[in-house]
Amino acid sequence: MKAAVAPVEWRLALAEAMQGSGRAWLFVFKACVAVLLTGWIAMRVGLEQPGTAMLTCAIVINPQSGMVLAKSFYRGAGTLVGCAAAMLLVALFAQQRTLMLLGLALWLGLCAGGASLHRNFKSYGFVLAGYTAGIVVLPVLTHPTALFDSALMRVSEVMLGIVVAAVISDAIAPQRLSQALRGTIRAQFTGFVGFVRGSMSGVLERAELERAHLRFVREVVGVENLRSSVVFEDAGVRARSPRTRRLTQRFMAASTSYQTLHHLMNRLQDQAHDESRQALMQLFAVLAEALQRVDDDKTVPVQASMLGLATEGLQASVLARAEQLREGMGRRDLRLDFDTGTELLVRFVGELHGYALAYVDLAGLTPRRTRVDRDETRFTRSNDWLGVAFITARTTGVMLVLGWFWILSAWPAGADAMLNATIVCGLMASAPNPARSADDMTRGWILGTVLAFICVFGVMIHMDGFVLFCAGLLPFLMIGFYLYTRPVWVPVAKGLMVALLLMLEPTALMHFSAPAFINRAIGFSLGVVIAGVAFRLFASAVDNRFLYRRMVDKFRAEVVRTCYGPAATARQRLESASRDLFMRILGHTPEGSDASRELLGWALSVHETGRAIVELRGDLTQASERLMPRIQRAIDAMGALYESPGQARYVRARRSLIGAMRVADAEGDARVLRHLHLLRLVLLDRSSVLARFMLPDASPESGGEALHAA
Amino acid sequence: MPRELAMFGAFVPSLLLVFVLSLLLLWAFNRAAGRFGWYRHVWHPALFRLALFTCIFGGLGLLMMR
Repeated sequence: MKAAVAPVEWRLALAEAMQGSGRAWLFVFKACVAVLLTGWIAMRVGLEQPGTAMLTCAIVINPQSGMVLAKSFYRGAGTLVGCAAAMLLVALFAQQRTLMLLGLALWLGLCAGGASLHRNFKSYGFVLAGYTAGIVVLPVLTHPTALFDSALMRVSEVMLGIVVAAVISDAIAPQRLSQALRGTIRAQFTGFVGFVRGSMSGVLERAELERAHLRFVREVVGVENLRSSVVFEDAGVRARSPRTRRLTQRFMAASTSYQTLHHLMNRLQDQAHDESRQALMQLFAVLAEALQRVDDDKTVPVQASMLGLATEGLQASVLARAEQLREGMGRRDLRLDFDTGTELLVRFVGELHGYALAYVDLAGLTPRRTRVDRDETRFTRSNDWLGVAFITARTTGVMLVLGWFWILSAWPAGADAMLNATIVCGLMASAPNPARSADDMTRGWILGTVLAFICVFGVMIHMDGFVLFCAGLLPFLMIGFYLYTRPVWVPVAKGLMVALLLMLEPTALMHFSAPAFINRAIGFSLGVVIAGVAFRLFASAVDNRFLYRRMVDKFRAEVVRTCYGPAATARQRLESASRDLFMRILGHTPEGSDASRELLGWALSVHETGRAIVELRGDLTQASERLMPRIQRAIDAMGALYESPGQARYVRARRSLIGAMRVADAEGDARVLRHLHLLRLVLLDRSSVLARFMLPDASPESGGEALHAA
Repeated sequence: MPRELAMFGAFVPSLLLVFVLSLLLLWAFNRAAGRFGWYRHVWHPALFRLALFTCIFGGLGLLMMR
């Protein structure tokens, strides 16, 4: 039996392995063709440094063609802006070398700072704008009249590299990134529906909730990043871009509501609240039954439309069932808990329905498409200006120190060292862990330099003519590009490829001088190493307690913004900005550390509170005259608590909530009462981050204050 | 049409302007194609786009250089 099965398995395994490596080798082939073709054209039309064109080609090429197009676009734009900046600098300080260096350092620093504001290839464009100015200006520092030609050459070389890389990767057997985007969105849908289905009946531990939250956040940010690259590759995806964003927004809304619902259930776990908990569990059955109607075997868009149908009008049936269950409840004082849970569930059902509809709309299954509201699709990023200033100062500082050293020592390779250090500083500025990225780069750089030495003095010296040049270069290119396809090796491979082509300096007329080579090699390598040292000395938020604290404060400030920002877009702003910030902080803290756990706690609390405040602000307009100032005071108190948490503010927030709840109860405004109750439950949660501000004697189990109110 | 044009005191090959113009035309077509789903009828959209660009650029260039 076993012998009969084995060969088939073996063949399948081989086919599977070959499928992956076949793709890898296809990429290696395409990349080599692109680089060598670029070199040929550059030499044919007589560009000054064909090496730059080949280098550009090697830098932008990537297995996925969407990535190539996106990176190419921003590299081209950055180069143009950088050249314009170089012209401006030279026009201002043509006679003053020191001032020119100062201005250049400032420009590079500002560009690095700007790069850290963005997450995708836009940040790469900023870095390019910075160092292109350096590359164009430095060689002509002593004879500025040659600047225009230097800039023109640089632009032509970069553009040539970009065009060849884009054409080759997009036209010959492209590997589409849009597939990855569709796959991610599909996985998001099935993952979320599976999570809801699996957690409907049982109790979810807090740790598990946190893990799920983490996964959803990762997916949301991942989709957003992919989308920003895919729009360059696929015109259809670009046209549907607003729909994709709307899907993301609705997903975020639904997942937050579901989290809040689960937290409420967890808080009701004790004996005193068991009855309301049981009633809510019975209410869940309505949704669970609807989810059963979604057939897992169908394709995801069909599943989405089934979900859309199943949740159509489900809100009404949930409410009807809730009415029955409410009547059956023995203890009246627990009804407030039950009502709050019911409202959350109804909200979640509505959002789930919206999510399913957005998916169906995106997949193009509906005959007539709905218009997408602009406000609904905004994904706001959140940035720390002090962090930007810090990165600017670090980059400018590195350049000034090395520039000073260059002027003092008059070392011929000093400019190379300075420029390279600054480039690495800029490129790594937005990396989650810049010191580690710089280390990888250094490793790759040294490897690439050694390879370049072997290539130049072992191989190239014997080669004559373009064909032999290609033959000699090919093995080295293949090593580098093969490493591009191994995810673990990518950071090293990038450094390797850049060092190899930069040191090789391929030109129509190769010149071989070992001392010059070694001098440049030392200069460039020193630059990379010094950038690594700068990252160690002036760490980003990874080890920098001050910057980390600031980021957490900013995170909490999202709640304050929810309290006072424009009401119409408050929810979108809260959902996207806090997720983006959260993802960034996560990149800056080691997994499983205290800092990262604390952050997760704040993340959940910020989402929950923020969302509840959004609902409360919606109530404000309809509230009675007596109730309105009370609600406003409660919102103010919550905002103050999140602005700078402390025991006094915690107590005040709790008091103002109780006060508002009493008035709401007297006025008979059940809706406001439920929202206030939800906020109060957040404050009473023993396992939340706010628990440390509770007075030691206050026992949330009794829930005494609320019972009087209700 | 002259081979080179003076722009801000620098000579620019007029073919470069044609190139940029062709890129703009292609971009406009691409937007429309994505919006109305024309690429569904094309086997290899990227190759089609490249070929279309070559046609536009070649046609306009020949027209200009006549």
